[in-house]
Amino acid sequence: MKKQTMEYAGGNEMAALAIKQIGYDLMGYYPITPSTQIAESLDAMKAKGETDLIMVAAEGEHSAAGICYGAAVAGGRVINATSANGLMYALEQFPVQSGTRYPMVMNVVCRTISGPLSIKGDHSDIMFMLNAGWPILFAHSVQEVYDFNIIALKLAERVSLPVVVAYDGFFTSHQKKRCLRFEEDAAVKEFIGPKKEAYPFLDLEHPITVGSYMNEPDLIENRHEIHLAMKEAVRELPALFEEYEAWSGRDYEVIEGYSHEDAETILVVLGSSFETAQTAVDELREKGKKVGLLTLHALRPFPTKELVKACSKAKTIVVADRQDSYGAVGGNLSMEVRAALQKAGSCVPVKNLVYGLGGKDFFAEDAKRMFAWAENGTAKSAYYGVEKNGNKGEQKAGDRGAEKAGKDVQYFAPLTAEKTRLGIIRAEDGGNGITIQGGSLNETIAIPKRLAPGHGACPGCGIPVNINLLMRGIEDPVVFLFQTGCGMIVTTGYPKTSFKVPYVHNLFQNGAATLSGITEICYRKQQKGEIPPGDIVFVMVTGDGGMDIGMGSALGTALRGHRLIIFEYDNGGYMNTGYQLSYSTPMGAKSSTSHVGKAQYGKNFFHKDMPQIMAATGIPYVATVAESNPTDFIRKAAKAAWYAKNKGTAYVKAISACPLNWNDKPATERRVIEAAVDCCYFPLYEVELGITTLNYDPEKMKKKKPVTDWLSMMGRTKHLVKEEYQDVVIEMQKEIDRRFKILKIKSENPEL
Amino acid sequence: MSENQIFAKKDYFEIRLESIGGLGANLCGKMLGEMGVRYLDLNSASFSSYGSEKTGTPVKGYIRFCEKEKEIREHSPVVSPDLLVIFHQALLADVSIWKGCTEETTVLIALEAGNLPKEGAQSEKGAQAEEGAQAEGQKASGPSIRLPIKVGNCYGVPAGEIAIETHSRKNVVMLGAMAGVLDFLDIEAVYRICKDTLGTKYPDSLAGNLEGIRRGFEEVKPLNVSVEEQAEGKGGQTTCDGIEAPGGINPYFGNSVANDVSPSRAGYIPLFIKERCINCGLCDSTCPDMVFQFAKGEYRGREMMVNQGLDYYHCKGCLRCVDVCPVNALVRGLEAEHPHKAYFMPNQDLVKTPVYYEKVGPDGYITSESYLTEKRMDGGEV
Repeated sequence: MKKQTMEYAGGNEMAALAIKQIGYDLMGYYPITPSTQIAESLDAMKAKGETDLIMVAAEGEHSAAGICYGAAVAGGRVINATSANGLMYALEQFPVQSGTRYPMVMNVVCRTISGPLSIKGDHSDIMFMLNAGWPILFAHSVQEVYDFNIIALKLAERVSLPVVVAYDGFFTSHQKKRCLRFEEDAAVKEFIGPKKEAYPFLDLEHPITVGSYMNEPDLIENRHEIHLAMKEAVRELPALFEEYEAWSGRDYEVIEGYSHEDAETILVVLGSSFETAQTAVDELREKGKKVGLLTLHALRPFPTKELVKACSKAKTIVVADRQDSYGAVGGNLSMEVRAALQKAGSCVPVKNLVYGLGGKDFFAEDAKRMFAWAENGTAKSAYYGVEKNGNKGEQKAGDRGAEKAGKDVQYFAPLTAEKTRLGIIRAEDGGNGITIQGGSLNETIAIPKRLAPGHGACPGCGIPVNINLLMRGIEDPVVFLFQTGCGMIVTTGYPKTSFKVPYVHNLFQNGAATLSGITEICYRKQQKGEIPPGDIVFVMVTGDGGMDIGMGSALGTALRGHRLIIFEYDNGGYMNTGYQLSYSTPMGAKSSTSHVGKAQYGKNFFHKDMPQIMAATGIPYVATVAESNPTDFIRKAAKAAWYAKNKGTAYVKAISACPLNWNDKPATERRVIEAAVDCCYFPLYEVELGITTLNYDPEKMKKKKPVTDWLSMMGRTKHLVKEEYQDVVIEMQKEIDRRFKILKIKSENPEL
Repeated sequence: MSENQIFAKKDYFEIRLESIGGLGANLCGKMLGEMGVRYLDLNSASFSSYGSEKTGTPVKGYIRFCEKEKEIREHSPVVSPDLLVIFHQALLADVSIWKGCTEETTVLIALEAGNLPKEGAQSEKGAQAEEGAQAEGQKASGPSIRLPIKVGNCYGVPAGEIAIETHSRKNVVMLGAMAGVLDFLDIEAVYRICKDTLGTKYPDSLAGNLEGIRRGFEEVKPLNVSVEEQAEGKGGQTTCDGIEAPGGINPYFGNSVANDVSPSRAGYIPLFIKERCINCGLCDSTCPDMVFQFAKGEYRGREMMVNQGLDYYHCKGCLRCVDVCPVNALVRGLEAEHPHKAYFMPNQDLVKTPVYYEKVGPDGYITSESYLTEKRMDGGEV
């Protein structure tokens, strides 16, 4: 047995530790709660020089999985971590990885999938992996997360399949527990052994083709190979558990039971609930009830033989699923348990429950009730813990709309066109561009705010400030779409909403596409006379994170010229999930995935110049705005609305304060933003029908500042002022000046 | 009570921390848990309430201790705490923080110095006082704290003041104070865990943090408590239970207006001095929370939008408005000194006034730690 030491940590931290000790070559990742901590912890270790792991922050999970695949093909040892919609977004990559037989490991930190969006834990994501051709290990404790991460890579390389290590989001990933780890990294490396490549891709003397096109006689053979590899995994996994026991002293089997050997009623649960339910079993056993528990350590390959054996004395089995296969007889685990027992000729009745969705807490009391239901319940299948409509039985979807009347909680009158079209701000088409009349700060207060107060943004948050300024320039009715981000989370926590106008949230990355569809149906309905005619301004709101992962969708919309405003609030990071770097984070800034340490100075590439990317699509209007220049902001909003109504896509980008993660004082944010404008980090300009106009030239106003003046105002960047980071600042200043100079030249030459 | 006595009666000793994002309760919980396994010869587990990351948000921390050999199987929040620790006086008014507390629950509150008993009183552990003396109010003198329910022994510590004076943070002061009220929590263990957690990473701030712990330990005092039970239905429930629309559709547009976000405030509010106001509108343009209530009116003979007042239900106290006001018509004030706010004007667009405003903080809690923890321990300003 190898020497071990105690840690007090959560599952994510232990996964990160295992990854570091294994000595992977590369992690391709994209932050998504609750898996993000893994990348964060590894980045922190990297900054300290404790690991040489190559960490690639992709612009979305689809790319992250692609980066991982490429790195695996090239012969690297590769790790990924994701959750919920991240897994869904990357899904099509996974069968390719298994189908071409490249091993890697991915941690799936289980969380419920959208929508409605929720970040809490259940198993609705992992069950989408059942058919991907990846062995899936499921850890119910923090200790197992660590151990299974080590075992997983060895299994992956032994059977040439990629392997998932799954565990409960938050319950296992975030709760800190006592656990053990190998003292020396060498012990882990020795267990894993060296990587062997049968067909090295980068051996230029023996070129190979990966990813052939395949016709019908061959494809089924390829799939059969995966089937056989899984069979091999059935044999290898117990052997690996045994090898690992010799190394660690911890003994695992593909199935774990608790008081199950003589149990007449067995509850089958996955993940952390297995531990909680043990308390219920203890209490029921004291009362003489023969109850027991089972959990699975492997979902793929499914431990049929072991499960059947473990249930041999059972008279009733109840499977509680933390997800549902809607319209089937229950969650996937219940169906697989039934299938396994049927295969073995067992006739033991299997009942199933769906419980704990969206991280709904599971207490020992709940397990006791489940046992009672197993004994006395008449239904074969049920939802556990549902209150609303719980006893109404089946309800026709059509009935529901009628019931909503009579709830007198309408606090505002609807913002009809008459209420907002006050004629305060007017756009006039001069043929060669729009001129705006009116729009002063005092006057535009009269336009009713589309956003209600009481939202949950942090004190001093820039998002509502920017939305409100944008809305002051728009007198027509507004329809909002928000991409995932702080802006939507803080405004729409059910059963409250801060929107007084129609609003929709779809996914993180395809808001522009969704809103395109909405505009089309709006025009059609207006044409048919189903809704009143008149201008409506469609506004897609996204953070800079959404503009990373959703850049493709936004560009597509711009290229099609759908008539809407894309409004980006750029706070330079993924603030909603704890401030991971975005492509718009300033160079050198620290974030939870760009720590500062002896081996790393913060984010190591320049901030993305999104307005120029959008301008290159040839849309009629692109503008940058800042709350420090509010009148300019309002007028540009009015222009954008005009173009969105009459010509095509308009793109407006605001720099948006985040006191929490910029780490500055909420009160002073407008000054910080002013400094960003004055140092030309965030120049204020517009590109109208291809013509660039610089709206505010700090040089001319004699307000130009060095970038360090702005950087020193924020906790996330003030380290850059130190001499040791001088090179970074010089490089950054050069890039800022270069971009500004080009703008200036363009501004002076309309044909550019 | 010693740990042997505690665990003879029950499986776990459970602590719930009630805090606001930014005060370090998350790290405090982690330190408590780690202290349990490393230095108290116990087993422990800890976690924080989860959600997206917002500052000023109510944060709950949960810590369970049990005997060393026992495994901790529970993953659910602490429902009925043995010790409730309240990190901010403003939270006292929030009924929801008292959930599950009974007369068995010991309570520790971070109070402003003025609200603490003056002389004589000391924590039981510090003074070796007889059990229950405080509950009967024999020892403590000075102002009394009103609580909505009956609880067990109740202690206070001027954590904010100590943190400022010692250049430490509220969370470590509270750790010291916890050692002052819990027998099994050895103060030496607190010093050790502080050195482990903060010592190597931030050596410059270690001395201050240790001093903060020491003063928290020594200055925690029993409190006078009076119980003022609140009427049922004030809080807890939401205003639109039973939305019938399918698919999570919410037809009640703008109903977040029924939220009272004042728990997000950190002690300060903007005060409006109307006679100075020039109605430039900068305050409204910088306010993230639609606090300013302008209406058509006359100013210096001109018809324009005129500032009528502030909707303090929705002010989070960020003081952006104070910073931009060019004529000092908005100034920073201590909320405690202005219980009756002048020019308090509810949202003017309301066509129906909420029956009550539900006290809430921003949505969500803590999902990651590395950046936030580092930033805050590194002398962050937030």
